[in-house]
Amino acid sequence: MDYQATLALAAPLAVGLAAIGSGLGIGKAVGAAMEAIGRQPEAAGKIQTAMIIGAAFIEALTIYVFIVFILASGKIGN
Amino acid sequence: MLLYYGQVITVTAARFGPWLVATASGGEAGEHSGGHEGGAPHLPNLVSLLTGGHGPVNEWVNVIFALAVALFMVIVAMSVYRKRQMIPGPFQNAIEMMVEGMYNFIYSILGNDTKKYLPFLGTLFFYILINNWIGMIPLGHSPSTSLSITASLAILVFLYAQWTGIQRLGIGSYLHHLAGSPVDVIGWCMVPLMFPVHVIGELAKPFSLSLRLFGNITGEDTLIAVFVGLGIAILAFSPVGIPLQLPFYFLGLLLSTIQALVFTLLSTIYILMMLPHEEHAH
Repeated sequence: MDYQATLALAAPLAVGLAAIGSGLGIGKAVGAAMEAIGRQPEAAGKIQTAMIIGAAFIEALTIYVFIVFILASGKIGN
Repeated sequence: MLLYYGQVITVTAARFGPWLVATASGGEAGEHSGGHEGGAPHLPNLVSLLTGGHGPVNEWVNVIFALAVALFMVIVAMSVYRKRQMIPGPFQNAIEMMVEGMYNFIYSILGNDTKKYLPFLGTLFFYILINNWIGMIPLGHSPSTSLSITASLAILVFLYAQWTGIQRLGIGSYLHHLAGSPVDVIGWCMVPLMFPVHVIGELAKPFSLSLRLFGNITGEDTLIAVFVGLGIAILAFSPVGIPLQLPFYFLGLLLSTIQALVFTLLSTIYILMMLPHEEHAH
């Protein structure tokens, strides 16, 4: 495999791998938040806010990989 | 050139749906749509339509749309403010509802300091929201797909949060806060370690803020552009395209709102972390 082929294989794979991690993380966070809301519905607003902040931090990791992908994809196939 | 306009009309028509395509030009134009010029595909917008996709104006697309959004917001705010009445009409009512919703949202985090920081944070939210949404209307372009725009917003938040810290805490307490608020001997021994960590932490905030917004909106717009191209490529033999991107508009609406909310929420929390702590003891 030459440089181009390696890059073309690795860049989308990186996004996929990052998405697996983010998916597991967000799934766990949202699941726990749903459980907490079910147990204490009057605190739904506060739990939701905290959940969105946490989800934003988790999902930012995938976004970083996506930006790396955009940078790398400019070098593929020229 | 003619091919380019044909492609633009076809792509634009595909965004509206097939019923507008009677006006679209020749069929083979569709084969070339969806951003084939290398890099991520993007849809044509008003500026690239008028300039033909070339020329110096085309590099200012993001700035033009960002200024247009700002102008739009100023006009809306001015028109509401000038004609305000005790018994609000429907337009004023809608705007008041948005402002009040924003106030309640920020009040749940900042408490009694809300009135001081609401103008900045509320403007930030609605500006980012309209910036994200404008990419989804036909011939629109989202300025949030440019890292320069999101980075400038994030740097603004960073500077505002630091300025708030210096103003509310005083320069001494601000440095004390940056050093990790040491109280005992062990805390003071840790200062050479904690101070760089906190400084780097502060500097990392605008990076993560801007990259998050940029990445999300770019991804969403690229997704829509890819599916527009796909919807045209399926029926490449005819001038009609299938609006395959329609479901992703709803996803885009949702994501845009959440991203604007997250940006504002994190800005609020960065400001909250700079406020004196005893006022917020729960």
